Amino acid sequence: MRAFRCLVWLEFRRSGVWAAALLGSLAFWAWGLFQVRAVDVAQQLGIRLLLLGIAGAIGALVLALMVGRLRGDTRAGLFQMLLMTPPTGYVHVGTRYAFAAATAALYYMGLGGLAWWTLRLSGLPLDAGTVAQLALGLPFYALGVSVIPLLAWTLLLVTFQSAYRVSGTGWIPGTVMALGTPFALRWLVNGIERVAYALPGWPVLGSVGADLIEAAQGIAEDPAVSVSLEHPALVLPQEPLWIMLALAVVLLLAAGRIWQEVEA
Amino acid sequence: MQIARLDGVTKRYGRTEGVRELDLDVGGGEVIGLLGLNGSGKTTLLKLLAGLLFPTSGSVRVLERPARAARADVVYLGEGDALWGWMTPRDAERLFAGLYVDFDAGRFGRLCESLAVPRRTARAMSKGERGRLRLAMALSRSARLYLLDEPLAGIDLLSRERILRSIVQEWHGDETILLSTHEVAEAEGLFERVLYMKEGRVVLDAQAEELRERGRSVVETFREVLS
Repeated sequence: MRAFRCLVWLEFRRSGVWAAALLGSLAFWAWGLFQVRAVDVAQQLGIRLLLLGIAGAIGALVLALMVGRLRGDTRAGLFQMLLMTPPTGYVHVGTRYAFAAATAALYYMGLGGLAWWTLRLSGLPLDAGTVAQLALGLPFYALGVSVIPLLAWTLLLVTFQSAYRVSGTGWIPGTVMALGTPFALRWLVNGIERVAYALPGWPVLGSVGADLIEAAQGIAEDPAVSVSLEHPALVLPQEPLWIMLALAVVLLLAAGRIWQEVEA
Repeated sequence: MQIARLDGVTKRYGRTEGVRELDLDVGGGEVIGLLGLNGSGKTTLLKLLAGLLFPTSGSVRVLERPARAARADVVYLGEGDALWGWMTPRDAERLFAGLYVDFDAGRFGRLCESLAVPRRTARAMSKGERGRLRLAMALSRSARLYLLDEPLAGIDLLSRERILRSIVQEWHGDETILLSTHEVAEAEGLFERVLYMKEGRVVLDAQAEELRERGRSVVETFREVLS
């Protein structure tokens, strides 16, 4: 436990500036959302939601870069030094991942909070249940299906690179990994599509009341963007979440195993 | 007591052999000089003992375990800087105290003092100062086997003297130290046993005292054996 705490501290020292910058950027996005001055309320809502989407994508990129830059440890003997320490590779990989995932959770919960604020700015009343879903449920789902596996994949890639370097014969498995990823991703998406909704769906924002539906329809001038009364609740499939979380665990175990076996 | 043993160890890097068919016993409480020209296999041997490399053939056992499994009892001081730029001596202490149960913070403080390690970040230190900090970190552990790879390389004379003095002061007689260096003349007084390496093999394994009794210094033997 002492070693784990120490490695978390090490992660904080190495990547704390990145994490602080990312979390600080929430203030910038809040300012940006507040600056949207479109006359039409629906248009305002659309622009704000677009901004939130951009913030989400940039956050994922920054987090991946934060994890990815750790390959710099390979230089100057830092990887050697860490490899010589008593904690296993799984602990080293797990701590790096835990720090990145915790930063991601805080950031996306912040974005969830901004989404709630956006809806409030647009004059949409929300009950407590919906606010909780927006600030906790949706960020958790979004993280689970995208950022969590992305970070695990990035960590596996940088561990692989730190371990074997893209030199000598190491480039062969490296190239296979890089080229194979899009195919694996396609196969994964097809598989998820096939099993989606086999389990009961997760009614995210299921507590959105009739008032919200009416209000949303009231502000939407374009019928295409109006919310259909026939589908008042957003029901998300559970399968992608569990499949992607399981995939993240597998990727992390592979990264830890590489760490255990590698030469330096 | 035996600390480490290599049996018929060969390590290949592609077509090149780092060490070949190496048999070696390392006993407890020895200070061993590992001498040889560049590319003679010194670093490969130290890395094999540290468990950072796996042998292509043969076996490496440290404290009766595979080398990597014994890493908690081994100190390896490699050639690289192995310090983050933001790291101060205080950070280094916190890191090692958290990772190693055998780390002695008091000893680290004394070593930093005697090695004149400045209280700056590694980024703001000179190469010699960083080298001294790394040595202070390494020697502050109570390990069974110390593998020091070129701790004197590229460091000024006064710092080299400080480092050698600290190694002598911190050696309590029951730890084993393997020190590779090109500064043979300066370090010679430290060695009890000397391994001369050439082209991946130990070409001479001698007690320093025996060499001196024969009227040969470690440096003279180095020239004789390896030229």
